[in-house]
Amino acid sequence: MFRNNYDNDSVTFSPQGRIFQVEYASEAVKQGSVVVGIVSKTHAVLVVLKRNAEELSSYQKKIIAVDEHLGLALAGLASDARVLSNIMRTQCSTSRLTFDRAIPLSRIVSSIGSRAQSNTQNYGRRPYGVGLLIAGVDESGPHLFEFQPSGMTQEMLACAIGARSQMARTYLERNVESFADCNREDLIKHGLQALKESLTQDKELAIENTSVGVVGMGSGSKIEVFKLYDGIEVKQWIDLVSDKPNITEAVETMEIDS
Amino acid sequence: MTSIGTGYDLTNSVFSPDGRNFQVEYAVKAVENGGTSIGIKCKDGVVLAVEKIITSKLLKPGANNRIATIDRHIGTACNSEHDGRHFEKRARDEASSWRTIYKSPISTADLASRMGQYLQAYTLYSSVRPFGITAIIAGWDSESEIPVDSEVGSGPDTGSGGKAEGKTYGGPGLYMIEPSGSYWGYYGAATGKGRQTAKAELEKLDLSAGTLSLLDGVNEAAKIIYLAHADNKDKDFELEMTWISNLNGPTKGRHEHVPKNILEEAERIAKRALDGEDDDDDSKSEDVKMEG
Repeated sequence: MFRNNYDNDSVTFSPQGRIFQVEYASEAVKQGSVVVGIVSKTHAVLVVLKRNAEELSSYQKKIIAVDEHLGLALAGLASDARVLSNIMRTQCSTSRLTFDRAIPLSRIVSSIGSRAQSNTQNYGRRPYGVGLLIAGVDESGPHLFEFQPSGMTQEMLACAIGARSQMARTYLERNVESFADCNREDLIKHGLQALKESLTQDKELAIENTSVGVVGMGSGSKIEVFKLYDGIEVKQWIDLVSDKPNITEAVETMEIDS
Repeated sequence: MTSIGTGYDLTNSVFSPDGRNFQVEYAVKAVENGGTSIGIKCKDGVVLAVEKIITSKLLKPGANNRIATIDRHIGTACNSEHDGRHFEKRARDEASSWRTIYKSPISTADLASRMGQYLQAYTLYSSVRPFGITAIIAGWDSESEIPVDSEVGSGPDTGSGGKAEGKTYGGPGLYMIEPSGSYWGYYGAATGKGRQTAKAELEKLDLSAGTLSLLDGVNEAAKIIYLAHADNKDKDFELEMTWISNLNGPTKGRHEHVPKNILEEAERIAKRALDGEDDDDDSKSEDVKMEG
């Protein structure tokens, strides 16, 4: 019934020093559909592939806006992500109420990291079965963090998690040097391109199954507030990366615009 | 390890017939594969250095620090990210409660003792698991004599109220705590994958003589991390280093990251030392060519 004696709960080390329950929880992340995050000097974007249970059902929401300055994308158990994002929302508003300040990204990320860690050290609870990409801006600029059920959090230049995400990661690794100087639109385009790498043969990016979240430095002291683009709003970008039209032309128009 | 499968290793806090707690021993295994971290106690300060393995080129360079500041004068290096954060939070709480009660910063020895107790508590119950960390704690305790209410000026030179003329207190402190909660003070401490190499190098430094200067300590620490990494060459790494000096030193008694220029210089020396061991002949032949 069990794969071994050491995977019944998250408070048991295996003889090799592994904790199987935590490792199984990260398997749940790999079952979720792929999400991609990229950060530049000015913006942080999240690009996700949504899934529907059947033809007639809606598509599962994958991006959650947490506060004006940050949002997250999830892969894995959506209900666990809701719990974590609610905690984050509370902390964001506590920071604004008591310190009149938007909470720095590193702080809120490490606080949910600590929470996830405690679920792996005490009996009677289970690790969170969700991975998150957290994108936002604070006083030190735009940031992208990865969160895993073990409680591990890392700051990344770009990241992809979820099913078949290895292909997207390979794309990101090939292009990582160019991200820092990308403008907003190019960053989203790279995100969608990475997402495309992870699609199965029979799938294509469409307005129903794609969401984009963007947050940026904005102009002056104002930030570009985290915004979730859904449905028809993402058409502009999907058209840009669809196989047919040539991409160089699109890049040129972008540059003229900015 | 012969007791695997006998049932005594499935639960924390259970003694095996020969008096061991296997879950604690397994927690040590979790530590042994982590990146190498070391601490060096010098004459006028302490150095902490860790090898951060770069698992992906998508990681942001220079971010994801592995050495944490606990109080202004104390730093810790834990070689597990998630359990390490729990450890750091508790250590900060201890340091802060000490300040509240005693109106003074906690000494490195006292913090090590408190954290040793805390880790030991996680070996007592089956409802928790031990920490999968070996933590190195480094600090500088103020040398100035702080008058206390019970001080009598002259009297016994040990014990409560005692005062010895010209005696200085405090100084550098370096401790390492294991998952079992046991801890010791060290001249040089090493843990993680490359600990054997690192320990051998630390022993060569003759740290117990107390003559190594802080700046030399920084260079030696960089050298040791580079050397310990040589066994694990296929993976890239980033060197993270912090230090604490006395009040007159470069950090003014605080725990800080080693400044970029000093760190880069130390890395340069370390790389040269490493290359010199490997291909001494190559560099010589190059010199000849340049002269020609």
